Amino acid sequence: MQEAATQRTPQIEITDAACRIVGECYPENIQEFSSPVMTALRSLVPVSGSYQVDMELFYFNSSSAKFLFDFFEFFEEKAGDGLSVKINWNYREDDDTMLEAGEDFAEDMESCTFELVAMQAPEENTSEE
Amino acid sequence: MINDETLELHKFMQARRTLFCYSGPLSEDLLTSISNPVRQQLHESESDEGVSKRVFGVFVEQAQNIIRYAKLRADTGEGVGTIAISVTDDDGFLIEAVNAIDSEKRTALESTLLELSMKDAKELRKMYKDRLRSGPPEGSQGAGLGFIEMARRVQRFEFEIADTENGPVFVYRGYVS
Repeated sequence: MQEAATQRTPQIEITDAACRIVGECYPENIQEFSSPVMTALRSLVPVSGSYQVDMELFYFNSSSAKFLFDFFEFFEEKAGDGLSVKINWNYREDDDTMLEAGEDFAEDMESCTFELVAMQAPEENTSEE
Repeated sequence: MINDETLELHKFMQARRTLFCYSGPLSEDLLTSISNPVRQQLHESESDEGVSKRVFGVFVEQAQNIIRYAKLRADTGEGVGTIAISVTDDDGFLIEAVNAIDSEKRTALESTLLELSMKDAKELRKMYKDRLRSGPPEGSQGAGLGFIEMARRVQRFEFEIADTENGPVFVYRGYVS
């Protein structure tokens, strides 16, 4: 699965070896956004071996928090069943909101390896719109 | 003078240092359209990206509250309300939202917000996590997290449910600096 970022949704790449989500997430309709992602995960993520998840979110709204919770739950279950899952939660080093969010998701992880990765803040406004 | 009110409106907005104000039917489409100009305004008036992101986060939650729960609906079904971002005297931000609510929801809303207003950052963080695990409460179209999210992003908030001839109207004011 390959989805380009839109103004309100992140870039998404899902293969049978890795998943990468980068950008902002406050979709107009959370179900319409999340169900293809979860479907792709269910069909692509293998039962055994290893899998890498890279998250790099700058902002997500409260409706998307539930999606992220379900997303990580999915990997927790896979990891519990024998898949080796490594999750990197990338956040800008000065972004306390995203750090806290990562810490909160990390707390629920027992079978996945969940790492909080501080990134250098970009030079003055090279990203965003 | 063509119309005193028009000039007064202008003066009022200027005096309040209002960056953005919208009043009327609100939809997700409209929220998409106004997101970039709102962020642009915030970016120009605030150098700390953390602050402007928090303001924007509160704004999005308020807008989605109006979209989903405002009692007054336009003919097209959209929730009707008012939403505004202004700069405060201490150069922080005031994010305001107003919309009509159902009389039956009044008590629940009041007790939810009263409870949130008494929590510190740590307690709010825990509430958010607990709600995330337990799932949305009955009647919620989102995750039931919106007001907790807002309470976490503001320094403080005020709310009031005012009685009008058309029923109760919910007023929310969140301060970010």
